[in-house]
Amino acid sequence: MTLPSRRAFATAAMASLLVSCGGHGAGQDTDTAERPRSTPPPSRPSAETGGPAEALKRSVPVGIRIPAIGVDTPVMQLGLAADGTVEVPPIAADDRAGWYRHSPTPGQTGPSVILGHVTVGAYGEGVFRHLARLRRGERIVARLENGKAAVFTVSTVRTVAQADFPTDEVYGNVGRPELRLITCGGPHTSDGYRDSVIVFAALSSASP
Amino acid sequence: MRRTILSAMALACTAVLAATAPAFADEGPSPAPSVTETTPQGPSPAPTDAPSKAPAKAPAKAPASAPSEVPVVPSGAPDTGAEPESEQSATGGGVIGGSALAVFAVGGAAVYLVRRRRATGA
Repeated sequence: MTLPSRRAFATAAMASLLVSCGGHGAGQDTDTAERPRSTPPPSRPSAETGGPAEALKRSVPVGIRIPAIGVDTPVMQLGLAADGTVEVPPIAADDRAGWYRHSPTPGQTGPSVILGHVTVGAYGEGVFRHLARLRRGERIVARLENGKAAVFTVSTVRTVAQADFPTDEVYGNVGRPELRLITCGGPHTSDGYRDSVIVFAALSSASP
Repeated sequence: MRRTILSAMALACTAVLAATAPAFADEGPSPAPSVTETTPQGPSPAPTDAPSKAPAKAPAKAPASAPSEVPVVPSGAPDTGAEPESEQSATGGGVIGGSALAVFAVGGAAVYLVRRRRATGA
């Protein structure tokens, strides 16, 4: 009499244990199955762009220094030529770079554009003769009229055909302080240099 | 004895039922959850659509209305490479040299013809 009841209790207990274990397992599966569904929408990485330095107040550039290619030159101001192209520094023995005055000053939000010659006719090589040698990570220091200096880090150096000059990439909105250095490059033809060399850089720091 | 057997059976049945009830509950809801999951998925596209649409539209509008960082955009590539003197002189020198050679050749031919005529005439 006691034996059957014990067996019955034992089987009942075993059955309930087994079933309850199975039930939990299924529940976990659904959990794990749901997790991946909820995790995919991480749209944060796209927003995680490295924190650039804070933008500076407007101050006209008066000089530029690029230690990697031995450039240390005063900077003049340039406007638009009659044909709608950007003015370039004069062909002179004391060649210098020029800042396009309709672009932001270095350190302001937006693409600040500085031009320089690769060659200056009878005077030989221009101030940006070695611009194409710049590499990613190298520094460019723009001295400003207010005594501050905006330090930029090269992100890209591109050589593009002048016929396909990327106007939007050079002058388009960027939402942070950036710098563009432009000169001519590539082989020289009867119409002049075939290419343009463009250095893209972003503000990394500012010194007082 | 019968009572004990019956009570044991009843206990076993209740235990099995109690155990299987969650299993059924699990199975039952699983379609239901799948439905509820699909219904949540129904709403989930909506929320995902809503946020994706909202930011997609917002940035699209923002740049359009945002002022240009470079208000006056020049056209074309800047001409930042005046032709080096050596190349200028090389091309210029080539032209000058060629024309001088042509003049010299024409002059020589004229002199030769004049002398030959004189020789035949005499």
